[in-house]
Amino acid sequence: MKPVRQPAGRLPVSMSVNGRPVELTVDARRLLVDVLREDLGLTGTHIGCEQGSCGACTVLVEGRPVRSCIMLGVQADGCDVTTVEGITPEDGLNPMQQAFREHHGLQCGFCTPGFLTTLAGVTADEYPDEESVRELLSGNLCRCTGYEGIVDAVMAAWGRDR
Amino acid sequence: MTSRPSHIGAHVARVEDDRLLSGGARFVADVSLPGMLDAAFYRSPLPHALIESVDTADAMGLPGVAGAFTADDMTDVSPFPDFDRNARPVAIFPLARGRVRYVGAPIAVVVAHDRYEAEDARDLVSAELEPLDPAVSVDEALAADAPLLYPEWPDNIVIQSAVTNPDAMAAFEGRTTVSGRYQVGRHAGVPMETRGVAAEYRDGRLTVWTSTQFPHIARTMLSYCLPLDETDIRVIAPDVGGGFGVKAEFYTEEVTIPWLAMRLGRPVRWIEDRREHLISACHARDLTLDLEAAVDGDGRFRAVRGMAIQDLGAAEMYPYGFSPAFAAVSQITGPYRIPHQSVGVIAVATNKTPCGAYRGFGIPEAVFAMERLMDKAADRLGIERREIRRRNLLGPDDLPYRTSSGAIVDSGSHRQAFEETARLTSESLDRWQARLAHDPHVRLGSGVVSYIEGVTPSYFATSGHWTSFDSCSVRMNPDGTAVVSVGVSTSGQGLESMLTSLAAEALGVGRDQVRIVMGDTDRTPYGLGSWGSRSTNVASGALREAADVVMDKATRIAAHLMEASPDDITVQDGRFSVRGTPGASVTWRDVATVANIRTIDLPEGVKPGMQATASYEPPGIEHHPDEFGRLNGCATYTNASHGAVVSVDVGTGKVRVLEYIVAHDCGTVINPQIVRGQVVGGIAQGIGGALLEKLHYDEWGNPMSTSFLDYHLPTATEIPNMVVRHFQSPAPAMPWGAKGSGEAGIIGPAPAIASAVEEALSDLGVAEITRTPITAPHVLSLVTSSVSAGRREERENSR
Repeated sequence: MKPVRQPAGRLPVSMSVNGRPVELTVDARRLLVDVLREDLGLTGTHIGCEQGSCGACTVLVEGRPVRSCIMLGVQADGCDVTTVEGITPEDGLNPMQQAFREHHGLQCGFCTPGFLTTLAGVTADEYPDEESVRELLSGNLCRCTGYEGIVDAVMAAWGRDR
Repeated sequence: MTSRPSHIGAHVARVEDDRLLSGGARFVADVSLPGMLDAAFYRSPLPHALIESVDTADAMGLPGVAGAFTADDMTDVSPFPDFDRNARPVAIFPLARGRVRYVGAPIAVVVAHDRYEAEDARDLVSAELEPLDPAVSVDEALAADAPLLYPEWPDNIVIQSAVTNPDAMAAFEGRTTVSGRYQVGRHAGVPMETRGVAAEYRDGRLTVWTSTQFPHIARTMLSYCLPLDETDIRVIAPDVGGGFGVKAEFYTEEVTIPWLAMRLGRPVRWIEDRREHLISACHARDLTLDLEAAVDGDGRFRAVRGMAIQDLGAAEMYPYGFSPAFAAVSQITGPYRIPHQSVGVIAVATNKTPCGAYRGFGIPEAVFAMERLMDKAADRLGIERREIRRRNLLGPDDLPYRTSSGAIVDSGSHRQAFEETARLTSESLDRWQARLAHDPHVRLGSGVVSYIEGVTPSYFATSGHWTSFDSCSVRMNPDGTAVVSVGVSTSGQGLESMLTSLAAEALGVGRDQVRIVMGDTDRTPYGLGSWGSRSTNVASGALREAADVVMDKATRIAAHLMEASPDDITVQDGRFSVRGTPGASVTWRDVATVANIRTIDLPEGVKPGMQATASYEPPGIEHHPDEFGRLNGCATYTNASHGAVVSVDVGTGKVRVLEYIVAHDCGTVINPQIVRGQVVGGIAQGIGGALLEKLHYDEWGNPMSTSFLDYHLPTATEIPNMVVRHFQSPAPAMPWGAKGSGEAGIIGPAPAIASAVEEALSDLGVAEITRTPITAPHVLSLVTSSVSAGRREERENSR
């Protein structure tokens, strides 16, 4: 017979999500992505693989891109967390989102929030040319676009000719 | 109506983008209902076994668990009907009954308060499985002593059509023959959103949210399997995160989850994880084409004959996994004048995940074989590879042309597209040779291929049940805005945007006055969904008919209000005017208010209301192949030529696509950005299938590709820049002349890249590339064996 797993303990977590303070108690084993999606209703963050390889669940933790499907909610205790909802202006879209729209950088849109949060966590100077931009984007999988529209959007949003 | 600024061909932003970019979209996993439970499946760990018993007692003992079920509990469920009378019946049942035929087959399901608890409990399910010998390959499954997947059958053949076309056979007499065995490996669509189902049973009605490409077909199938009438079932396909054919299958989980919701009286949700997806969502391709051509000395193909051999996996997939093989045969001769063909099909059950649909649906396999054979014939006859295609390609004077495989090619730019691609590819190769000449490890090559692709197809050949129609309902609100509901649904292609433009065009309103409704069986007329590059054509055909009815009535009301003749009424941007009478006008709001509210102002004989529903069957489609497998199964045919420029590292075997060229013709382009996105996205998937993606099994039938670490999707660094040229040969019989662009891009990469790799390595005399994926180890083995063969030859010569 297989071992019965002991129920995980519950722990308090306090963090800032999209600029608002959040206090909740979660199972120690609960993934950050489930805390965001299920407990806080922020369903813009998507789950594509639960193995940390596709990038759909990327959020910003302390300003850096993180795979929320392989990070525990309790590990975000005391952190600033930003999701796609948090990088979207109250009215309309931010310049990178507008560039995605203008350059057909999305089709089904499932992977899109992960690309946007990845891009929100870096500065253009770190990725000076198309090759380095593609290298940056290679951590996020997209199955629809062939990446063309995404690369176009990034280059345009960062003010570069292609 | 007079000419006015058109939405057709205009660059317009997609209407669906804002919600997708802001996190506001709603996918199945975002459906949350009070009291909702999560389900987890216990799946077979063995490729072939008898189920002796299943013990769920320990699972039931965990806190939070609401139930654990096996097939024995589903006494009120019917198996999927077996519609195709030519195929052996498989009687798909939602949970395995008595036997499992692949690793991943669902045996039991556990429902709990949340997914963590459901998976804990699932891990406590134990099944006594009596292992059986597996048949992992077609060869094993066809062996005389093969284990039978369906013991009631005499062998493992699900369907076969052995054809012998005497004209084709006669053409082989006295001609050069070229033959090969070409295999497109097992891979799949792998959308970024996995499958998922949520269901609620309330007040005697079942509501099912499912990530599907065909909600109406899903509803009908549910009514066949569950004790419910169709009117008591509502299927909703919310935002769907990519389909690619994977979600144009009706899956057992789409019965199990609704059944659980009914059984437990609570909403139930199941969101597939990626491992489950890679072993239980449909696989695809895995088709071998044994193909032989009779060729004249000048390179003209006179006939092809052979066999399409489909490794079906366990065959428990509906619609049928063998259908792509038949599609391949029905378009085997492609854009070439080949007078005769005789190609049979055999589809064999094996102990692997069942095959189903994937973008391209048999045509990538057909084109890989045909184009490889073209290259081989060229090499054999000493004709340049591009020249042999020129000698066989359809020209403008040939059209319309009925190919020997049955397709009626009504229009196209076969030669133009080819010449454009050949020219651009040569230029590209020259540029890259100049850039990379200094690298001694790298060799460059290019390949150019051509194909046609049938679009807007019959579904009868695929499903054995449904045919090809679709529907549209147009409803004008009193304020002059339009609600347009359709039976097709979107999985990311941009259909909302396409139909918004077409509805605005047909109704003479602005795009912002149109709202498209799709993906909800309660709110849309019956239709067959989105697959087969059909949606724009079938939905717009129905839309145009419905809009004609509405516009006729609106014109009469507008004429009455302006005391003019209906013949003189024009409409633009939501305003009706009288031709030749400047200043006289009424708005769509005025007209729709009269129709819906102030009906006392209607002209005599015009009834109130402003809405119409129409259904559209695309013309010219045949639903049954003839005795030689010939079938015009599609309403029209796109064409394209693809060119790949590659580098091959002879030290590692790594193939890099440096640039990709495509000249593509899908008739009238309604939205250029969307068409380009479809073509480029399809090519990217094609490159993945050509170089990287393989659903690998070990010799015992264990799946080895169960995560993105061992199933390699292309990333932004593997996909090259693409040069895309559009030709527009309108489809004569299609609304707006459009053809459908959804699938075509995926077809070219495998044969173009194979040809390019061979050219790059031509001075090494490597063996022919006959299968995909063309992985680095595969290329390296070709290089190594050619080098060692060369050394052997040298040694022998020096003796």
